[in-house]
Amino acid sequence: MPSAAEILQQIVNGTVIGSVYVLIALGLTVIFGILGVAHFAHGSVAMFGGYLTFWISQKYGLSLYPAMILAIPFGAALGVILELFAYRPVRNAAPINAFIVALGLTMVVDRLNMLLFGPDQLVIRTPYNGVYEIGSIAVSELRIQVVVVTVVMLCLIGYLISHTSAGRAVRAVAQNPYAATLMGIDVNWISLLIFAVSSALGVVAGALIGALLALAPGVGENLVIKGFAILILGGLGSIPGAIIGGLTLGISEALAAGLLSSAYKDVIAFMIMIIVILLRPQGLLGRK
Amino acid sequence: MSSRSTALALCSLAMLLGLATSVPTIAAEKILNVGYNDSLSGPGAVFGVPQQRAIQIAVDEVNGAGGIKVGADNYKINLITNDDKANPTEATNSVRKLIDRDNVKFLIGFCCSGPTSAVASFIGNEDVLMLVGTAAEKSITTRGNSNLFRNRPPGDFTGAAAGRFIASKGIKKLAVIGALDAALYNQYLAALRVEFEKLGGQIIATESAGLGDRDMTAQLTKIKGLNPDGLFVEIYVEQAAFIYRQANELGLKIPIFGFHGGSEEQFLRVLSSEQMEGVYDLRPTELTPAALGPGAAKFAESYKKRFGENPAPNTGYAYDGVYILKAAIEIADSVDVKKVTAAMASMNVPNDVVLKYLPVDGKLFDQNGQAYITNGAFQWRNGKWTFVSELPSDTKAYSDALSAARAIKNPIK
Repeated sequence: MPSAAEILQQIVNGTVIGSVYVLIALGLTVIFGILGVAHFAHGSVAMFGGYLTFWISQKYGLSLYPAMILAIPFGAALGVILELFAYRPVRNAAPINAFIVALGLTMVVDRLNMLLFGPDQLVIRTPYNGVYEIGSIAVSELRIQVVVVTVVMLCLIGYLISHTSAGRAVRAVAQNPYAATLMGIDVNWISLLIFAVSSALGVVAGALIGALLALAPGVGENLVIKGFAILILGGLGSIPGAIIGGLTLGISEALAAGLLSSAYKDVIAFMIMIIVILLRPQGLLGRK
Repeated sequence: MSSRSTALALCSLAMLLGLATSVPTIAAEKILNVGYNDSLSGPGAVFGVPQQRAIQIAVDEVNGAGGIKVGADNYKINLITNDDKANPTEATNSVRKLIDRDNVKFLIGFCCSGPTSAVASFIGNEDVLMLVGTAAEKSITTRGNSNLFRNRPPGDFTGAAAGRFIASKGIKKLAVIGALDAALYNQYLAALRVEFEKLGGQIIATESAGLGDRDMTAQLTKIKGLNPDGLFVEIYVEQAAFIYRQANELGLKIPIFGFHGGSEEQFLRVLSSEQMEGVYDLRPTELTPAALGPGAAKFAESYKKRFGENPAPNTGYAYDGVYILKAAIEIADSVDVKKVTAAMASMNVPNDVVLKYLPVDGKLFDQNGQAYITNGAFQWRNGKWTFVSELPSDTKAYSDALSAARAIKNPIK
């Protein structure tokens, strides 16, 4: 029978990985909730951001955060390019067109990452190796920072959406794009802004994954699958839902692996999601 | 024709023949295509890429020295390279292409057990010679293939010695984490368990991790809760590095033993030297330049000069593979695959190899096509793998057991 300390340690472990899931799901939910686009390439964009952070840190000898801040504009620019040249031409077409574009983009961005950064596993090295022990619970400096950075990003996004004119415009487009246009809001500009912000969040997620675990082909795909699962769990388009869903998935994975078997990690996590969807089809925080 | 003309013609013919026989023979330069299959991308690339580099160095050395001498001809090696992505299906397709399309008769490489086992399952029916490098899964040399050789000992040859070593360190309760679904690691652990338990030890936990996993905190937390005296880790290099880092982050302060190989650079890409301090790697005594003499040191120097980093331990198998093939062809004095196979089966340890082989009945390969090197315990000390001690193993007894396993698997052969 696992001790309380062990269960608490698993919850701490799950919160850290869940924080990265939250960042990925947040980017996805902003795009899906406002523009209705299932942006499957978001995981690959996050990996692009992570690889770029690695490259900048190596090239200029910078540590994780300065390199990540320098990579953010490039990630945002990639998001803008994708919106402008891939999604915008199919915005008013049948939804299946955007779906196919999204799938194609995943392969294109993955290949781009491979060409630019190679197929090898890369780890962004940091000096944050310290370990804090509180009773029998241990957590490293880097893991604490992952959670703190996620909270900072959530506060920043919350502030942008609630307290700026651009945020008000985004909310207006989310509620009713036609009415927003009639009120003089440039929907094209809002769409670009949403992709830029979402991709910037992806860069942060990619950089944190690169420091916490590793950047490698296939990592982005797994992240985006989990990101969409969180969207469904938390409620499509709901920012609080993405936060609750991300943490629920991270913690349930850790508990399943620790208390049962690592082989059932994904099975248990997705079973919880299926149960939630059966009981609340709109997701934990979604509206009917 | 008059008799005078006939005599003149005969004289001329005799002179021509005399001239022909007196001209020294000029060696013809020929190309020998060698198929090189390895895991050059995906999770196995951590072993495959260093193998590829080592093979390239050896091939360049052989070709630079004039090639392989066969009769009056000198054969330059031309490598035809395929990547199996550490995937059995890809490996099967890759080797089929090398045999059917490129018509190669000699195959080298093979760092990963899964894909190599897949190829070993059909290679016995092909008219080729296959020389396996790093792949250590036992059944690769128990399938009864007379055309398959391997210059790396199987995993369980090392596992038994590792079990004795861990027990000698006073460990009584050992926890295990690794790729336990993979046959190689299963076999290593089974041999380790027998010896460890014989000496009074107990394995209190076996936690599985996938070969592509990078977050093993959940399993390590579970292990920490069981309070073991020691931790044993058996998995690919990159995953092992993450386990060591995460064990450190979880405050798991117990002796750690591993089976993975990997160079200093490969570990330091993932974690700091302080996080690795004291970790043991219990593996065959692969490329250890300080312990192996000038040949190994020269190869290590060439590798570092060319690729900017130290060679991974497994590179010794790949480098030697090229020289073993060269020696077998020169002994056979032919590139006929049957003659080369026969020569390889009965050859002694060649001079140009860098690893220290343990001959069986005086031969490099035993009756199963299996070669052996010594096992060793290495410990991470101040940023380097340091040789601690040899892990004694009975080569002859193991070889006989391998033959018995081969006989059970292939009763008709």
